[in-house]
Amino acid sequence: MSAIERAKAEGRNKLYEHEAFELLARYSIPVPEFGVAKDEDEAVSLAEKIGYPVAVKVVSRQIVHKTDVGGVVLGISDSKALLEACRKIKENVKARAPYAEIEGCLIQKMVPSGVELIIGAVYDEIFGHVVAFGLGGVLTELYRDVSMRLVPIEEEDAWEMIREVKAYRLLTGYRGTPPRDMPAIVDIIVKFSRLLAENPAIREADLNPVIALEEGKGAYVVDARFLLDGEAL
Amino acid sequence: MSQEDLTPLISPRSVALVGASPKQASVGYVLFENLANRFKGTAYFVNPKYDVVEAWGRQFKFYKSLSEVPDPVDVAVIAVPAQVVPQVLEEAGKKGVKAAVIISSGFAEVGNVELENEIRAIGKMYGIRILGPNCLGVYNAFNGFDTVFLPAERAGRPPAGPLALISQSGAVAASIMDWAARRNIGLSIMVNYGNKADVGDVELLRYLERDDRIKVITVYMEGFKYPGEARRFLEAAKEVVKKKPIIAYKAGRSAAAQRAVKSHTAALAGSYEMYRGLFRQAGIIEAANLRDMFDMAKALATQPLPRGRRVLVLTDSGGMGIQAVDALEALGLEVPEIPESIRRELRKELLPFSALSNPVDVTGSATDQHYKVVLEALLPTAFFDMALIVTLMQVPGLTQNLAEYIIDAKRFKKPIVVVNFGGSQMVQEFTRTLEEAEIPTYSTPDRAAKALWALHEYAKIRGMVRT
Repeated sequence: MSAIERAKAEGRNKLYEHEAFELLARYSIPVPEFGVAKDEDEAVSLAEKIGYPVAVKVVSRQIVHKTDVGGVVLGISDSKALLEACRKIKENVKARAPYAEIEGCLIQKMVPSGVELIIGAVYDEIFGHVVAFGLGGVLTELYRDVSMRLVPIEEEDAWEMIREVKAYRLLTGYRGTPPRDMPAIVDIIVKFSRLLAENPAIREADLNPVIALEEGKGAYVVDARFLLDGEAL
Repeated sequence: MSQEDLTPLISPRSVALVGASPKQASVGYVLFENLANRFKGTAYFVNPKYDVVEAWGRQFKFYKSLSEVPDPVDVAVIAVPAQVVPQVLEEAGKKGVKAAVIISSGFAEVGNVELENEIRAIGKMYGIRILGPNCLGVYNAFNGFDTVFLPAERAGRPPAGPLALISQSGAVAASIMDWAARRNIGLSIMVNYGNKADVGDVELLRYLERDDRIKVITVYMEGFKYPGEARRFLEAAKEVVKKKPIIAYKAGRSAAAQRAVKSHTAALAGSYEMYRGLFRQAGIIEAANLRDMFDMAKALATQPLPRGRRVLVLTDSGGMGIQAVDALEALGLEVPEIPESIRRELRKELLPFSALSNPVDVTGSATDQHYKVVLEALLPTAFFDMALIVTLMQVPGLTQNLAEYIIDAKRFKKPIVVVNFGGSQMVQEFTRTLEEAEIPTYSTPDRAAKALWALHEYAKIRGMVRT
């Protein structure tokens, strides 16, 4: 059963983040190595398998904004720090979202820092799926510096999308920063378009951030959110 | 004839006007006058109140109903009260009429959705393509088919020429036609689809694609209406722009304007950014306003496409030249230096104080000959792709003959636009000579620069730019 079918069967209109990663991976969209641990022991063995440094995120169907409730810890470099992070997340969630049932922890490999991008999608009755591309951060919103295209998006459309935003120069290398892996970004946009075209149930999606590394080193979706049609039960 | 073909609707050979009237200052009268005096096909007039009407020194037979019309009819133009329209359409269907322009209002735009659904269903059943309801319909300068119910003395009718307009707004369409008529701009076909019960932008684009007399399609748009419409528009436009350019102006960009659009056309949604993305994806050139749309259309209809982005700026005014460079560079075009070898040659033939960089400034002491020398030395070379020529005719040394030199430069097969500003008889005459020879003129450097940008943009869309 696909992540979307499973969510629907369980009466959810949101995907868990690990389900979102599974969905992306099915379309060969690069995501960091990840896994879900039910308890601390599983967390440690999973982190060892993935390799440090890792990030830990709480898994709970009641929690939408994990950071707001202290449900995310980044840059964990060993098992001691990992156990400490698990303890802290439990404590935070208990204090700030007492109604939430903790189902486990998502462990994912840390991606090195790079230029942060947003690739989003909405479904509009008249336009169908529309993909938006912009650079991460508050300035994108301030200047409405985004480009949009209708699904299906071809490779050439995707190149134009990234060249169209004013912040494009941050990707080509600006004031001493290295140029970024643009073919990797184009590749994500095109594959994301295919994912949307084949999954009409998706109403909204946010890949935020997508981290673009230096030329030849790729780009990774580090955080993903999918909203499906239909009401949540 | 296939139902996809809109020829009976846009370019009919026979028309029946239902709701014709001899009463002046009525919609039925204006349509009667249009079709009786200017339509080059056969027109039949229907109104049960009259038998024979005398007008313009002629006698016109009026039929009691559509079914009484003895011959086949391509299109019915319907201008009767909304509640009677279904009955008329039914009759048209039984008669085998292929298309209908429904001028009448009182449908979905006032909440009468059921009545609109009813006429759509009748159209489907009989295979009648419907334009409207609540529209101006069609203006076709080629064969005089004109369903614009505004009197010609108030709303001018433009001459035949290379442009077509698809307009969501009737009033905007009528004012553009009037404006084009006063400037002698060749706008051959205008279609306003009103409520878009059947025929809309998508079908019209496909029709205009096939009409070889139309060189440029302009589109005034407020918003789509139907689910999936944006995708269909994208697919159609992508095909059309391989043959001819489409320029679109999307009204309703701000949040407040989008609210106005919603109430105006009952158009649903889609943010302005989505439309902008759609236009770029389709290879449609987006205009900033209506003037911009026709500035660009004029150049696209007359000029060859450039193979690169390098512009020669030739001027007799330093100030105008600088403005041109500012505008060109802001639009991403290049104004490269004149190669030294050519510069040496030019120095022998021009005034000693002429500026021989780019812009080439032949100064206020210029003669016609100086323009000719520069154009011939530079435009046919591999260093330039197009030219922006400023001709301020107020200087004493220039004559009408300059127009001939510029027109002569068309043989270099590179785009040329001219900036000419002023109000004297001489300036007007000069402008007219150029425009008649299909050299587009503009009153300011930024407008001329935008026209060159549009040519380069379309050359990119067609994959004709060398990289």
